[in-house]
Amino acid sequence: MALDYTVTYSAENHYENLVKDAIWQFLIIPEDNDNQRVTDVQFNNSLDAPVSYSENSKGFRTIRVTPVKPFNDISFTANFRLVKDEMNPFDFVPPEDPGKDYLTLDSLEFRVDHDSYLRPTSYTTVPGSAELTFQWDNEKDIFTNIQALNSWVYEYLKFTPGITTVETTLQDVLGHRKGVCQDFTHLFLALVRKHKVPARYVSGYLHQGSGYFGDSQMHAWAEVYIPRVGWIGFDPTNNLLVGSDHIKVAHGRDYSECSPLTGVLYTLGENRTSHAVGVACQ
Amino acid sequence: MLARVANNLYWMGRYIERSEHVARYMHVNYFSSLDAPNELSQDRQFVLRSMKFMVGDPVTDLEIQLDEAEVLHDLGLNPEKGYSIINNVKFSRENANSARDLISTELYEAINKFYHFVLNYDKELYVKRGLYDFCMNITEMTTILRGKIRATLLHDEVYAIIMMGMNLERATQIIRIINAKYNDALLARNGYDPDVSKSFEWVTLLKCAESYDMMRRYYKKAPSSLSTLEFLILNGNCPRSVMNSLDQVNKHIQVLEKSKNPGKESAAFFIEKIRAELKFKHIEEIEGNIREFIETKLEDLVMVADKLEKEFFNY
Amino acid sequence: MITATNPIFSCYEHDQAHYDEVFNAKGEIKKMYETLFELYCGHSIEDYILLNNKAKSSFFNQGITFQVYGEKETKEKIFPFDLFPRIIGAEEWDHIEKGALQRSKALNLFLWDIYHDKKILKQGIVPVDLIGSSANYLQAMIGVDPPGGVYNHVSGTDIIKHSDGEYYVLEDNIRCPSGVSYVVCNRTALKRALFGVFNHYRAHTVTNYAENLLEILQSVKPRGVDIPTCVVITPGMYNSAYYEHSYLAKAMGVELVEGRDLYVENDFVYMKTINGPKKVDVIYRRVDDLFIDPLEFRADSSLGVPGLFSAYRKGNVCLANAPGTGVADDKAVYTYMPEIIKYYLDEEPILNNVHTYHCSRPEELKYVLEHISELVVKPVDESGGYGISIGNKLSKQEIAEVREQIKKEPRKYIAQPIMSLSVHPTYIDESQSFEQRHVDLRTFTLLGHNEEFVLKGGLSRVALQKGNLVVNSSQGGGSKDTWVLKDKQ
Repeated sequence: MALDYTVTYSAENHYENLVKDAIWQFLIIPEDNDNQRVTDVQFNNSLDAPVSYSENSKGFRTIRVTPVKPFNDISFTANFRLVKDEMNPFDFVPPEDPGKDYLTLDSLEFRVDHDSYLRPTSYTTVPGSAELTFQWDNEKDIFTNIQALNSWVYEYLKFTPGITTVETTLQDVLGHRKGVCQDFTHLFLALVRKHKVPARYVSGYLHQGSGYFGDSQMHAWAEVYIPRVGWIGFDPTNNLLVGSDHIKVAHGRDYSECSPLTGVLYTLGENRTSHAVGVACQ
Repeated sequence: MLARVANNLYWMGRYIERSEHVARYMHVNYFSSLDAPNELSQDRQFVLRSMKFMVGDPVTDLEIQLDEAEVLHDLGLNPEKGYSIINNVKFSRENANSARDLISTELYEAINKFYHFVLNYDKELYVKRGLYDFCMNITEMTTILRGKIRATLLHDEVYAIIMMGMNLERATQIIRIINAKYNDALLARNGYDPDVSKSFEWVTLLKCAESYDMMRRYYKKAPSSLSTLEFLILNGNCPRSVMNSLDQVNKHIQVLEKSKNPGKESAAFFIEKIRAELKFKHIEEIEGNIREFIETKLEDLVMVADKLEKEFFNY
Repeated sequence: MITATNPIFSCYEHDQAHYDEVFNAKGEIKKMYETLFELYCGHSIEDYILLNNKAKSSFFNQGITFQVYGEKETKEKIFPFDLFPRIIGAEEWDHIEKGALQRSKALNLFLWDIYHDKKILKQGIVPVDLIGSSANYLQAMIGVDPPGGVYNHVSGTDIIKHSDGEYYVLEDNIRCPSGVSYVVCNRTALKRALFGVFNHYRAHTVTNYAENLLEILQSVKPRGVDIPTCVVITPGMYNSAYYEHSYLAKAMGVELVEGRDLYVENDFVYMKTINGPKKVDVIYRRVDDLFIDPLEFRADSSLGVPGLFSAYRKGNVCLANAPGTGVADDKAVYTYMPEIIKYYLDEEPILNNVHTYHCSRPEELKYVLEHISELVVKPVDESGGYGISIGNKLSKQEIAEVREQIKKEPRKYIAQPIMSLSVHPTYIDESQSFEQRHVDLRTFTLLGHNEEFVLKGGLSRVALQKGNLVVNSSQGGGSKDTWVLKDKQ
């Protein structure tokens, strides 16, 4: 059965001093893929500044806004409609001999193919001093281990908005064991990669009808590459496998490659920014 | 041509022209005051104040005693003063640098030599006994630059933009010089000789604009306020006059302006308008109201520069 | 017979430890230099000083200068130029030219491979970690097809002549190699000062570089473009290589732009001219990778053009050199060059590579730590000669410090035997005489779509400090005009 979603994204920016030259790039359009199809994209800004569409380096669609006149305030609103298929995340056959898949992970060809998603980034580096209790069990298959890790991260951190920012590193997160979806995802990615399994950061929207964590911002989760199966989504913030409530926008090695909004502007003084996201299912 | 580079060329032209006027104003005033007919005009303080007035840094408080070495340093070689010759030359070279691929090697080399000359000029020597040598070199080198611009650049857009900058600057500087000398003439009035129209300062003014000989040839008598102003403002044949400078600006903007009938907001239209106003002006009208005339003309020229910037140099 | 007892060379001291390019071991002039030597000996040292000063002031007045970033102020300096040229015979040059071209081509194929199929990594010939962990490996370039299939349009290969008389490559520079404008300036300056000497030798011209560069740039135009608009992009006039940027733009007759002169609309690039926007097709860029597009790379870059990378990725504009080439001129990758050449071209390397010890390999690390005094230790990812330690010049304490540094981050360092750069008679201002100084050679190779060009000549850089081996201009190096002879002898 297919689900109809409407996603709204809005952002407001206020600058203390007049901004003369600016450009913004949004990475907020849901991806078109096997289980979701975007049917409508609407984007407006309060200045009626020219809007153009492009792609980032991984091929995900971006929206660019370039104001012509100087301004103090600008707001953006986006509306997306999409159809999402119901999906069963367990729709594959578990391996009879888990050992084979571990051999695949060790093979040079596999390591080269997935190099980008196997390597720690600045956001996904676990400090050497960290003592983490998670135990990987080589007797069990990769998927089962990852699922256990998903639960472990969910238990290990406490979902707490307002403590971390987009610049917070794992070092700090592991110190206070609090954070939001980005932090859950980065810790999860770090540990999956440490066990030589490719994993990538996903940004998107979460339909919160079922009472999941994720506040009214964009959500983040991870995709893990399981040999013979492919990329499977895990949501460590909610201890879930990714399903039809998760609307994917983009993936990358970590947050830095999925940042929903990149702005290049030259201004001095204070500025205020606020974002809001809403997801409705018809 | 890139809009930014066009802007650089335009300012290169303006700064070259500006350094020449400041240099000439300094030495002409300084040396003509040495044997001026009246006491005030001979007064060192009077001349130094005039110099500061001309570059837009006037000292009105008569109590303040200006230091000659300091004033000369400020106008000539003080890197802290935006109006100093050294800064004008520095800026013109910087602008030339960023348009280096468009100007001829010969022109660039000449600007570079000019820059090194100013940069390496002995500061002590300059304020003590080098004023004449320094200023003459500046004016001569700007003349060389003008020659290189005319003779080693293709007379296309690049040339037109530089010439536009130079001539707009010339018009501006001539008006500023008139303003400064008019001010001096008013101050130099005294009980014995209350008539501004016969002031000694008019001769100095003409020399400041390198126009004294031309003027004598044209009028064949001693300059008065009326004839001096007429010559420097309205005489289109005098290459230093405001009218002539505007004619040049007008001629060069035609190269850049692609439209046959420039809109009423355009720089080209506006220049034509100023020229037309001057063309039908009597010098008597100006003389009675010289302050106002100077102010409106300076405003007009600023407006032209603004319009040029919006139309051609916007990047 | 002419011997080195003539006045102009009277103080010339032969240090037998070095390979002298002009005099043989007995102190006799080599055949190729005989005529030149005779001509120079016709001048007194006073003549020579005069000529030398004239050449210097001509460089200064032409503004052929670079900035040196000092502690307090930035100074404008000329690149010291030596009036005694270096001569490379036709046969010897043939060897260099073929070798430089071979390396450039192999590097180009290597770059395509590591940004696409990664075969060389999958076969374990080059370790995947070396590439994946390199700061210069641009993730954004994975899967991107540069127009014409070219990455390193311009390569600068640094070559030396060792004491065994053989040429060795020290480094491949394929990001934004600079120096070619000095090749042209040196030639011009030497012609002005001593035009007579050119009558006795038939040397190849070097002024054809710009026209060849333009042709190469035009050959990699984006699909669907008839006559491409090419530009040179510079970080601006305060960049140390600004003179070169402006020279190249002028010599090619194309615009010299800065980031702020360009903008991107619907994935096409335009420049802002006095007559409105004009589409740009090929950009010869002299701005580093991470600064070209603040939306894709460093957001704080004001030198770049927002959106440029997406236009490039779409194939609507060509960047030369391609972003991400830096991964292949990494000093660690250099050590795999013989294997890389064999793998892609199925050829033996024409030019020698210097043997390299990788500190990332435990057994080699051990050797390096024990033999620091006999080795040159280099950081893998620094350019401009910074961070290099030359073993036999270090004190005991310095050796200990270097050892600690390497131990801390072995991946960051490689070490090579101390190569003995050949020496060439060079006029030294302080002593007002000719002395032996070390030289290297940077050659310039261009690759286009089905086109290639090697500049017949190059930049012979001279280490002006006695005994110094570092020849970079920013570290007090000078240069010589370099003649490649037309006739085989």
